[in-house]
Amino acid sequence: MDIVIRIVGAAGQGVQTVGEVLTRAAFHSGLELHAEQSYHSRIRGGENAFALRLAPGPAWGAREGTEVLAALNQEMLDQYLPSLTDGGWLVCDEDLTVSEARVVRVPASRLAKEELGLPIAANMVLLGAAACVAGIEEESLARAVRDAFGDKAELNLEALALGKQHAGDPRLGPHSPAYTHGERMLITGGAAVGAGAIAAGCRYLASYPMTPGTAVLTYLAERATRWGLVVEQAEDEIAAINMALGAAYAGARAMVTTSGGGFALMVEGLSLAGMIETPVVIHIGQRPGPATGLPTRTGQDNLLFALHAGHGEFPRYIVAPRDAQEAFYLTAKAFDLAEKHQVPALILTDQYLVDSFSTCAPLEVTRVAPRSYLLTPEELEAMVSYDRFAITDSGVSPRAVPGVSEKLVLVDSDEHDTYGRITEDLHFRKALNEKRLRKAKGLMQDVAPPYVHPSGGLEGRTVLLGWGSTYAAIREAVDMLNAEGESFAMIHFSELWPLRTHELEQVFDQAARMIAVEGNATGQLASLVAQQTGLKVHGFIGRHDGRPLTAADIAQEVAR
Amino acid sequence: MNAKEYLADVELAWCPGCGNFGIRQALAKALATLELPHHRVVLVTGIGQAAKIAHYISVNGYNGLHGRTVAAAAGIKMARHDLTVIAESGDGDLYGEGGNHFLHNIRRNVDITIIAHDNRVYGLTKGQASPTAPQGYKTKAQPFGSLSAPFHPAALAVALDAPFVAQSFAGDVEGTAALMVKAVQHRGCSLLNILQPCPVWNRINTFAWYKERVFSLEDEGHDPSDRSAAFAVAARQDDRIFTGILYRREGPTFEDRHPVLQEGVLADRPLPTESELRALLEEFR
Repeated sequence: MDIVIRIVGAAGQGVQTVGEVLTRAAFHSGLELHAEQSYHSRIRGGENAFALRLAPGPAWGAREGTEVLAALNQEMLDQYLPSLTDGGWLVCDEDLTVSEARVVRVPASRLAKEELGLPIAANMVLLGAAACVAGIEEESLARAVRDAFGDKAELNLEALALGKQHAGDPRLGPHSPAYTHGERMLITGGAAVGAGAIAAGCRYLASYPMTPGTAVLTYLAERATRWGLVVEQAEDEIAAINMALGAAYAGARAMVTTSGGGFALMVEGLSLAGMIETPVVIHIGQRPGPATGLPTRTGQDNLLFALHAGHGEFPRYIVAPRDAQEAFYLTAKAFDLAEKHQVPALILTDQYLVDSFSTCAPLEVTRVAPRSYLLTPEELEAMVSYDRFAITDSGVSPRAVPGVSEKLVLVDSDEHDTYGRITEDLHFRKALNEKRLRKAKGLMQDVAPPYVHPSGGLEGRTVLLGWGSTYAAIREAVDMLNAEGESFAMIHFSELWPLRTHELEQVFDQAARMIAVEGNATGQLASLVAQQTGLKVHGFIGRHDGRPLTAADIAQEVAR
Repeated sequence: MNAKEYLADVELAWCPGCGNFGIRQALAKALATLELPHHRVVLVTGIGQAAKIAHYISVNGYNGLHGRTVAAAAGIKMARHDLTVIAESGDGDLYGEGGNHFLHNIRRNVDITIIAHDNRVYGLTKGQASPTAPQGYKTKAQPFGSLSAPFHPAALAVALDAPFVAQSFAGDVEGTAALMVKAVQHRGCSLLNILQPCPVWNRINTFAWYKERVFSLEDEGHDPSDRSAAFAVAARQDDRIFTGILYRREGPTFEDRHPVLQEGVLADRPLPTESELRALLEEFR
């Protein structure tokens, strides 16, 4: 099975609500899915689209084409009608004008008004019809509506029934379940980052709202009381990073969430984190720049920025999860490595990953198991003296937090001696700078290898190189292309810095052709690879119009 | 406790005759009076001559970025609200580069004490006008004299209903120490603005200049609970400069209002257990 149900309308028409209900219904029915959201940066009007793909397996991505198009207004109907595939069906209000033959017209507005006395429920009438056409189980849909609306579910259930009645028989389906309850989880990338943070022992988040980073702010704020966090909306991003660093210095695992523009304001703070060797996790939900760019769209144009941000030289850890499941694990890992190596850790997601729902194998708590790297009060009491920045072989100095023992903890943004006291003794400068930079070695040992598919035997193949949320699109493209002969492969990075070069060199050595595939215009990973290894890709496929890369985009470009 | 015990045994990199020496003595005295164990205090500073004080007082120290003193102090206090957190820096740091944090942390009302070394100039960068410099104040960077009106920290703090607003003169070490004690003791975001001559750069607002102008609010019978009276004093345009407690009110702090902090110190919370993690992930099933 592989069908896309696309709900389109204007902001304020409830596209997202309807889409989420449908997504949960598909989840309750045991269907593998991916649901993607695309919207204009406005609260009313404009374009809002929610695309639910009932996918052949878990962890698939978005694709073009529509099998069921549910249009809530004329403008979006006209815009999306060309995406309807040959066997596809259009579902819309009877008021809308359309020449399409395969159409299910529903008097949604009239029924909502006359039968239910609730004009706003027109979208639920249409959902009832669209779900019926798509072959989504009625019971699962009703369950999803009850979960979403609670006390107000009854009227919405009536709306669904009216829609179904007018739609007649299902045109697609029935879809046989791929899993039973408990065998999958349904999660968005944003929630996965938030849950990964809580799982890793995050206690503090300070942030200024910025799409799409805000998803993590609201996820954590809603759960702060239950899980014991302080989530504070800062006056600006500069405050956010400095508040987080203060909290981290005092012993609370701390995080900020933002997008490229907000991160730009945090850059001096990032450098401070490097200097005072205080762990902090920075989530950057990417959207296309420069400047304000496309606020609600997706892109991958912050990789080199994240890597090079901050004056001075200091180690950092950068990850870009490939999907929601990995966003959970890599967020937890970012917290762990930030603590272990006393470095800032950056998580690069994007609007596409943050807002998309997908089914995944149940997240395993045993894979997270957070541990403390702090000196205990007992260990501190046993020490004759304490130097926060003691020189060690690994570069990692045993870390104490203030207030838990009589040992004082001093950190300084100026160059400092091992105690933390400001110094202009250049002997200390060199020793401390080398100590900080030495941490990169240990950090590198904790970085997992890139994903190579298929593993081994890449001789003569064209290998697609990618990172972050383009994983599913590249994997699907490789499979599509290989359907006509086994000549394609992929190498994909989720952990980007420190960059593992060993596997890259092997792949470059075996491949006939290397093509970078990225959600930007210049090939940022390709540049980084060239800089680190001297190896240059032979081609580049970039998408930078604010929409996610799809398998069809890639396959088409490769074939060109 | 002995005030000397709070003075770190290090070389001081301040200019001879600087008001910072007196402020350092006053802070040591205040900490001794408050009988605060060294390890239960965090002195947070930014960048500038005043900010070096984090190295000169023997307590925990966080000498962060220029202008971000108050933001870092708020984060520290939220994570460990059992500690005494003092945010101390110069007028350029707190009112210029850090103006936004100054405004919003008064609103936030985390229980920290802001101590400003207000000498009306940027010392470390060689004498440019600070936000509190008078209009017309000439420097190499302001050859026509500062065109901007001066920033009035106390008036602004009263406008934001800061719970404790006071001012002292660095030449009065005893009086400054006494106000530091009261500022630290007062719950909420307290401000102590310390008027300080800069013998190197500021040839106008000298020790003698201040000495002629400062007066004690207490001596004049000012009632610190009267917000209108506080405004009237803060907005005075004459040649007299007030010292003492300008405004004081009681009220809940950020910590008092935050349900998670009411349960205990944030940084003392243990890492999540396996069963907690299972419960966390239930919502995705």
